[in-house]
Amino acid sequence: MPLDVIMPALGMAQDTGVILTWHKSPGDPVSEGDALFEVETDKAAMEVEAQGSGYLTDVTAAAGDEVPVGKVLARISETPEGGGTTPDTSDDQPKKSVGSEDQTDSAIPEGEEVIMPALGMTQDVGLIVAWRKSPGDAVSAADILFEVETDKSVVEVQAGHDGFVAALLAEEGEEAPVGDVIAIISREKPEAPVSRSQRERKAPTTAPPAPSTTKRPAPAPKGSLRPAKPAPSSDSRILASPKARRLALERGLDLSLLAEQGHPQPYHVKDLEVLENLPKAIAPQGSAMTASRCISAEVSSDGFEAFAAWAAKETGLADASALLAAFAGTSLGRENTIVALEAFGETRLYKVRGRRLGNLTEADSDTTPDVRLRDLRFGHLSSIQVGPEDTPVISILTTGTGLKLTLECTAEQMNASTAINLLSDFAGRMEQPLRHLL
Amino acid sequence: MREITLSQAVNEALVEEMRRDPTTFILGEDVAEAGTPFKVLSGLVEEFGTERVIDTPISEPGFLGIAVGAAMTGARPIVDLMFGDFIYLVMDQLCNQAAKQQYMSGGKLSVPMVVRTNLGATRRSGAQHSQSLHALVAHIPGLKVAMPSSAYEAKGLMKTAIRDNNPVVIFEDKLMYQDKAPVPEEEYLIPFGEAKIKREGTDITLIGTSSMVQVAEAAARILEAEGISAEVIDPRTIVPLDEKTLLESVRKTSRAIVIDEGHQNYGVTGEIASRLNEKAFYYLDAPVLRMGAMDVPVPFSPVLEDLTVPTPEGVAANARRLCAGEMIHAA
Repeated sequence: MPLDVIMPALGMAQDTGVILTWHKSPGDPVSEGDALFEVETDKAAMEVEAQGSGYLTDVTAAAGDEVPVGKVLARISETPEGGGTTPDTSDDQPKKSVGSEDQTDSAIPEGEEVIMPALGMTQDVGLIVAWRKSPGDAVSAADILFEVETDKSVVEVQAGHDGFVAALLAEEGEEAPVGDVIAIISREKPEAPVSRSQRERKAPTTAPPAPSTTKRPAPAPKGSLRPAKPAPSSDSRILASPKARRLALERGLDLSLLAEQGHPQPYHVKDLEVLENLPKAIAPQGSAMTASRCISAEVSSDGFEAFAAWAAKETGLADASALLAAFAGTSLGRENTIVALEAFGETRLYKVRGRRLGNLTEADSDTTPDVRLRDLRFGHLSSIQVGPEDTPVISILTTGTGLKLTLECTAEQMNASTAINLLSDFAGRMEQPLRHLL
Repeated sequence: MREITLSQAVNEALVEEMRRDPTTFILGEDVAEAGTPFKVLSGLVEEFGTERVIDTPISEPGFLGIAVGAAMTGARPIVDLMFGDFIYLVMDQLCNQAAKQQYMSGGKLSVPMVVRTNLGATRRSGAQHSQSLHALVAHIPGLKVAMPSSAYEAKGLMKTAIRDNNPVVIFEDKLMYQDKAPVPEEEYLIPFGEAKIKREGTDITLIGTSSMVQVAEAAARILEAEGISAEVIDPRTIVPLDEKTLLESVRKTSRAIVIDEGHQNYGVTGEIASRLNEKAFYYLDAPVLRMGAMDVPVPFSPVLEDLTVPTPEGVAANARRLCAGEMIHAA
């Protein structure tokens, strides 16, 4: 598609521009942004840049010519020879004979065309703010026909021709591309002046003209115009400070429990203390069930047994319970942990420091363990769910194919992701104990 | 340590820097013969002469433009803008010219200029001589903005400003010129973009600029008696702003009030509060409150004028509400 080069409007009150010099000759290749020609207005001389790339063709104005604003004075074509019809040079306005070009516009009366003017160098469209004349009105060339808004300003545009408004082809509030015909001014008073939207022109020709009432979106039913009121806080949304929410998440606390208790909102950090003391108080009501976690994993038993045998033989660590404690302690992902190990009705407390197998000592009996391991490998239980206790508990059972590991805790003791990570990590170490050393 | 007034501190800074650097000079209205209406420049013309302490005609755009040109060509002018309110007159020279020269010249030009001016209401000077307009300047990239809160800061920041290669606007509080503070005899500079923790606390952070630092400190004393521990921070320069210190404090206390004497709407308080919201959101236990000057022209009536600026009692009342976990709908 060749690009039209028009005389731009460089000033608000400018009607014409004088071409001082051409920087390109017909047939020259041009790139977007190249200076095409220099134009002088009543205020200043300016270079006009090419808005696209191609070859300069169909030049109709020479240096020294005074050219009306908006008139096509050259084209940028895909070939040096140009293409398409030579721009119409017969009159001051870029005109097309109405009706011949667009058969679907046959209802539009004949007359002088008024186009959307180019008011800025880079303007593509203009918004029609208001029509100052109605269809059928008499106009003189100097009358203001409409107001147009560009990205920079609102400008009043004169009719440019004497006669009658025969057609308005865009509605107020619509945007029209620069150069598009937006009005027709006829010499004779029109019999049936036309007024319609830009959109209709683009509508399929078979579609009947839309009745004017449907041009705008149908008004919404009354009441829906206002945004819905925010739901009262007691309904669903809990009001809490960002810090209270973050800490609740980190500690696995559920703020909705506070809301259920009727504790006044908004919640702040100090309200978390109340929340932390809640579950015990309301445990008999069944909340403890909803707040408890029980997850299981199954692993083969070979890995651990072989590793325990190797450790006993090569490193002298004969205490398989200590190995289990080391695995569980390091699975918590912290440096120093206390692990309680229950086996054969006896409980031993281990202090686990880091991953090295030897870094493990028995802890004082009055220390609180971080996790309790219940070694039930040598019993007959096949499944376990006894409910959360004062510390998270991992039970180890023997199944037909290997070991079943079950972690039980309250939501308060461990949030879901910590619990999942703990058991996944522990299961991984039991399945492949070498992972523990690496 | 000796105590001197803010006025003396500024005077000392100027004298020291003018002795050190012969390219520095002062220009403005009534700077030489009168030594400014606030007597800050007394004695300067006697030492440095009228070549370096220049009385100008009453034309702020004119002499600020001269200063920008002088700075671009190698001098270090110090412009005395008698009232901060006159900044409206020099917006083009300051914001369009001084602020952009280095950028637009690709670093070939710089504007090492200092504009000394002031802010602060309650001096009964009327709506056109009582404004605190530092936010207007702080909005423009390319300008640095210092806001001394005492004689100590006034001297150290002024010396840094004069040595800075960028345009700097210093807003002194015109009600603080006679306030005394300990200022060391020996030379010191205060780097830009380094906030000062004026008082440590654990329950709430009070961020104040210029004279609002005193208001925040007074509020902190009121709160202390009630068992609320307030931390008071003075950013000292709002461009550049020491975000790190502010964020560390707010992460610790989880509550904050930002206090500034500029109008509250679209002001410095809103900017700082917004940064705290963006970068410390998950540490906040209460909304960050803004306390600026009331959004009205500063009244001439003393009774009304006093109502327009933040007070220690007002700050303490808001701090109390935040620490109590009250639902805050609006400050």
